Amino acid sequence: MSSDFYNTSILPFAGIIIKLCRAYTSSQQDFEDYYQEVCLQIWRSKDNFREESQWSTWVYRISLNVCLTLLKKKKNNVQHFVSDSITAEETENNYAFSDESLNLLYDAIRKLSEIDRAVIMLYLEEKSQKEIAEIIGTNPNNIGVRVKRIKTRLKKLLDGKIN
Amino acid sequence: MEKSIENIWKEGFLKSDALVVPKINNLYNQKSIHIIDKFKRMFKINLIAIVAFSFAFLVVSFIIGIPITGIIFFVTLSVLVVINKRLLNDLEKIDIGISSYQYLKAFNQWINKQVSINKRFSRFLYPIIFMSLVLGFWFKDAEGMPLGERLVNEILVGFPDTYLIFGIPLIGIVIVAVILVLLFLVGGRIYKWDLNIVYGRLFKKLEELMTDIESLRS
Repeated sequence: MSSDFYNTSILPFAGIIIKLCRAYTSSQQDFEDYYQEVCLQIWRSKDNFREESQWSTWVYRISLNVCLTLLKKKKNNVQHFVSDSITAEETENNYAFSDESLNLLYDAIRKLSEIDRAVIMLYLEEKSQKEIAEIIGTNPNNIGVRVKRIKTRLKKLLDGKIN
Repeated sequence: MEKSIENIWKEGFLKSDALVVPKINNLYNQKSIHIIDKFKRMFKINLIAIVAFSFAFLVVSFIIGIPITGIIFFVTLSVLVVINKRLLNDLEKIDIGISSYQYLKAFNQWINKQVSINKRFSRFLYPIIFMSLVLGFWFKDAEGMPLGERLVNEILVGFPDTYLIFGIPLIGIVIVAVILVLLFLVGGRIYKWDLNIVYGRLFKKLEELMTDIESLRS
């Protein structure tokens, strides 16, 4: 991968890639692996970009598809498909932001299903229901209902933890 | 809870440490493997191994005097390789830039197609392998005559009333036919069982993801 391509086509969108990868991983090592894999897949697939959507939407799609379908080889050599359900207790202590509220929110997000994680991440990134539906490939009418349901679940999970 | 989820998100990412970009290095030596890359790699290795094995076995079969077995093995496994090479080409066509639903669906369809074709093929593969061994040893040279004929002659000495069809004992034909039918019936299951041991968890997870997305589409 050329550094030019990385600097001009990936780095400007590193924020969303980081945010998404964080939601599907529980350690710094896993996160770095996911981030690199996303970058690799964006680079490999760049010729397939047909400008039917914005480059940013396309980056979202690839990031999400990579996070949904990544094989992790864990230390015990057991192969896991996709990000396994990660609980807050399993998250490494050193894998944290300095903002405690954000850590708690991420821990709660990691308790959601893979698809719900994707929906709420895109919602928090202020994507419209139409855009979320396009990226995930669903019906826009159902996104609003699903977001409400996810937010209620997150509020329950965070209840009493954040002032 | 006082703060809204949206505010926690926005405020949290205003802090400087929140979005530190990891260094990109050693890109091709990662611990994580994308599932499609994993399949491609596994497929390529499998296909190369099958070609190498069938060719080596062909040579060995001529050396040990069962060329029929070697030739049948070689032809059958070559067909298997050609079929799976075509499947591999289809896998290469899956575009990761499409929506998650289309992407998972395309991958799921590919897996289903691959399983279905190989399952059907396995129904014939095991019987053909068994039959190739029977034929190979039947026609193996045993001091100037085929081993099968020699065996029949010895049986006829011990059991002169043995009923023969085209010079082969009926009981032998029945036993081989029963084994062939059993292998035909269980061939697909053996393949599925083997596949589930390795990728059962993957199939289950894909199914869950598809169900979840489909519930959003309905």
